[in-house]
This record gives sequence, C-alpha cells and structure tokens, in this order.
Amino acid sequence: MGLREFVFKRLIDGAILFFMTVTLNFFLFRVMPGDPTAFLIENPKFTAETRKALLKLFGLDKPLWEQYLIYIKNSFTFNFGISFQYLAPVRDLIFSVRLLNTLALMIPATLLATILGVIVGTVAAWRRGSKFDSTSTFVSLVFYSTPVYWIGLLVMLVFAYYLGILPFRGSITPGIKYENVFQFAADYLWHLTGPLLTLTLVNFGGYLLIMRSNLLDVFSQDYIVAARAKGLSERTILFSYGMRNAILPIVTLTGLNMAFSISGAVLTETVFSWYGMGRLIYEAVNQRDYPLLEGIFFLLALMVIIANIITDIIYAYLDPRIKY
Amino acid sequence: MNKESVRIKKIKLFGDRVLEFARIYYRNKYGLAGLIILTFFIFLALFAPFIAPYTPSDTFLAEPFSPPSSKFLLGTDELGRDIFSLLIYGTWTSMTVGVLASLLTVIIGTFVGIYAGYYGGIVQSILMRLTDFFLILPALPLMIVLAAILGPSIWNIIFVISIVSWPVTARVIMSQTLSVKESSYVEASKALGAGDTYIIFRHILPNVTPLIFAYVILNIAGAILAEAGLSFLGLGDPSHISWGMMLYYADQFGALVAGIWWYILPPGLAISLLVLSFMMIGYALDEIINPRIRRR
Repeated sequence: MGLREFVFKRLIDGAILFFMTVTLNFFLFRVMPGDPTAFLIENPKFTAETRKALLKLFGLDKPLWEQYLIYIKNSFTFNFGISFQYLAPVRDLIFSVRLLNTLALMIPATLLATILGVIVGTVAAWRRGSKFDSTSTFVSLVFYSTPVYWIGLLVMLVFAYYLGILPFRGSITPGIKYENVFQFAADYLWHLTGPLLTLTLVNFGGYLLIMRSNLLDVFSQDYIVAARAKGLSERTILFSYGMRNAILPIVTLTGLNMAFSISGAVLTETVFSWYGMGRLIYEAVNQRDYPLLEGIFFLLALMVIIANIITDIIYAYLDPRIKY
Repeated sequence: MNKESVRIKKIKLFGDRVLEFARIYYRNKYGLAGLIILTFFIFLALFAPFIAPYTPSDTFLAEPFSPPSSKFLLGTDELGRDIFSLLIYGTWTSMTVGVLASLLTVIIGTFVGIYAGYYGGIVQSILMRLTDFFLILPALPLMIVLAAILGPSIWNIIFVISIVSWPVTARVIMSQTLSVKESSYVEASKALGAGDTYIIFRHILPNVTPLIFAYVILNIAGAILAEAGLSFLGLGDPSHISWGMMLYYADQFGALVAGIWWYILPPGLAISLLVLSFMMIGYALDEIINPRIRRR
C-alpha cells in the first residue's frame, strides 16, 4: 500500500472518530441528563426570546433522532449555544486568544519534554546499570506519580513567593500598557516560564522511559552486533544505528501523548491561571456552564484526533518499513 | 493415589509457588520499598480515628492558618482544622476510590477483552474501534464532563474513573486471550466437546489472571491521581475529605500567596508517595510476571 492510500485510510479513520465524538457528546449532553433544556436553556440570565431561539436551534421539542441529526449539523459549525456565564456564543469563546494561549503552552512543552526525554533516555540506555541510569529511571517514576498541579504550586512557592523571580498567576501582567511588541513578548514569556517548566517536567519522564527501552531493544538486534564486529566506533553505532531506529516510535508517542498532555495542560493552566482552554474548562465546571463545557470538550477531542492522524502520517513517511 | 492426597499435593505445590514468588519479590528493592510505604498508608487509613488527634469536623475558628506547633503538628487550614488530622482521614478516601475504581476498571476491561478476543468477528472490531476511541480521547476532560453532569459523590467519581480507563485493560486482555485461544489445549478441550463458558473459565481466565493482577495495581495508581485531580478542580465529594480537595481549598483560600507551605506540601507529598508505592509494586510484579525484563 502506498503512502497516498495510507493517508486516505487514516483520513477515513479520522472521520469515523469525528462522528464517534459527536455521538458521545450528544449522548453526554442530550440523552444522559434527564432534562436537556435545563442544561442548555434554563438560565435565569437568558431572555424569553433567547430561550425560544435556542429551543428552535437545538430542536429540543422534536424526537431524539431528529435532535441527533440537528446535533451533527451544529457540530460541523461548532454551534453549541450560548455560554451561561459569558452570555456569548460558545464558538466565539473557544476560538479565541485562549486557544492560542493553550497551544503556546502545549507545543513548546511537548517539544522540550521530547528532546529532554530522548537525550536523558539515550544516556541512561547507553550507560545501562549505572548510577545515572537508575537515578533517571527513578526520577521519571517520581514525576509520573506526582500531581501536575502540585508541582505547579511548588514552582510558584519557590520561584514566586520565596525567590520573587516569577509572577504568581496569569498570562500577562494585568493593566499594563506595552510600548512595543518586544515588551509584550518579554512579559508573556516571563509568565509562560512557570507553566512551561511544570508541564515539561511532568511529561518528560514518559519519553525518557520509552526512549530507554527502545534503545535497549535496538541494542540487542543483530545489526548492532554486526556493526560492532565490523569495528565501527561506539559513536557511530549509537548515533547512526541505535538512535535512528529508537527515535522513530517517539513520533507516534508524541501523538498519543497529546491526550495525556491535554489533561496535564488543563491542570497546569488552572493552577497558574493561564488564560487558555484548560482554565476555561475549570471556570465552566465551577459555574456549571454546560454549553461551554460541551464546546471545549468537543474541540479538545478534535485536536487530539487530528494530532494522531498527523503523527501517524509522519511516522509512515519516516519509516518506509511500515505500510499498513 | 486417592483424591485426598492429590489435594494435599496441590496445596503444597501452591504453597511452594507462593514462597518462590515471595522470595523473588523480596529481592526486588523497588517492590519492597513500595510495599513498606503502602503498608504504612493502609495502617493510617484503617486506624485514622485512633491516630488523628482531631476529627475533620473539629474547627478552631479562632486559629485559622496557624503554623505548625505542638498543638497542631502541621498547622491549621482556613477553618482552623488540624491539617495533620485531615491528612490522615484523607488517606481513606484516596485508598477507597483508588482500589474500587481500579477493580471496576479491570472487571469491565477483562470482561470486554475476553469477550472480544474469544468470540472475534464483528464484536471484536466494534470493541476495537471503541477502545481506540477511548484511548485517543483526552481522559481528564472526559472525566470532568462526566463528573460535572453526574454531580459530586464518591460513587460517581469511582464510576467516572473506571468508565474512562477500562479500554487499556481491555486491549491487553484481548491480545492475551487471542494467543491463549489458539493454544493446543484449548483446541483439545473443544474437540472433547467443552462449551465456551467452560473454556473461558477453565483456560482463558487462569492464563490472563497474572496480567489482571499487575494491571489492578498499576490502575490504582492512575485512579488515585485521577481522583486527586478531579477533587483539585472542585469536583470532589465534599462530605469526604481527600488530599486533592485539601489542595483545592489551599489554592482557593490563597495559601500560596500567603506562603502557607504547611497547607500545600503535605497533601501533595502524600498523593505522590502513595501513587509511587503502587507504581513500584506494579513494576515489581510486572518484572516477575514478564521475566524477559528481568535481565535488563
């Protein structure tokens, strides 16, 4: 099967997952609660006209299967109704600077965690059984066991409260007037440091362990033995033979890890009051803002599905042996 | 040989295997350390009312946020409750939710995994799709949504955690079932006219049990973290104090800005230690069950 067919097949899989997400969302927010109107319309802040318009938009007076069709149609346009607390369309709230802020936190954190995990994992595998190996494995186990938000609290306690070199909360200093772009960038990066550090620390352990076990697997292969027998230098064996093969599965892991990473980001954003999607989920939950919650969950699920398809395609492109 | 002596022999063989297992386990220093920490926490959970100097409802409203002293070992929270006592009472919540959620997860996962692996066909492909779907979905947001819809109660949290985390177990059990199904002794049983139920309980289940065992332990670690996370987001059961909830209140009442470290450090440390102990035990079991790793 060629790469083109593979891409096509993955896109179809993606479409199926999309419909499964829509169905799950419909089930969660329309079927499961006894009275869906309470979840979508019965907000004392809404006017009678708004309620009537929403009832019509979701077709709540129609039979369930018709509601489902309307729901699919609305999902394509991210039409999830009006937020209870912000009194604005959910679509406008999720496609905003908040989404950019979340991406600005998640993408660098994932990249940093991957690089750090690959480097430390390689050294650990190379010096298997050494003090460095056992320590790094144990440290990654500890980071896996530690709640993200607690690490966030510790980071703030040390760097903001005791040392005073990082801000406590938020993504920018409130009420500040920026003279130029650089000033804004500096302020933004200053606020990003804490959450970025936290999320990177929590994510890197997984990459370390996978990289280490991948390399150990590769080292036991025949071609490594052959390379040694040929008298190649240890450097060549490690970089050209070992790492090249061990690093490939990391690509897939990055995609799969998106789901894990999003969970971490939600908690990190909450702790640092980072103005992103994760923080928005927290607000939506605490205000019982169901339409907003529905929209965010749908968007996050969609992001993970898309990330998975992209990493699968990159993997198939990088590794010509894999053609499903 | 009569039936009685066969039974005695069987028991003796079983005893030998348990001893052998204990010997291998004892040599694993991670596993041993994990077991010691876990025993400590189980002790705290079971005897909380006898160990804790106060109960969660003892409030000293005149002494909120007081630092550690001989009266309050780890200081007090915003209501003047003894943090040390809350910590001890919180152990029970974390343990119960972790263990019950993990058991439910593994029961669902095992049932689905064996069913899909054994019967195959359309059931298998639907289940595969479903597990893939659940594996891809971001777990915490899904738990948040479910917990928000169902409302805060300890049973809902257990349900929410297991309904989101069963697919991983189902996956593993299914692939194990697939390989056991093809073995010659299953084929022999079939040829002798054994029914599906007999084969599943007699051959498949005993073969996947060791795996189930390791997964229960590793799942407890995940479930404890999930419960703490949900509680930290304010979705916990207010009638049962838990470590995640303590961090939620600490955060809500500005313990951080005031530098009240005695409210922030202990609950997180407790979560970390308990999860770590389960992880270490899980890895030790995994190493013993999958001897291939042992040489690494």
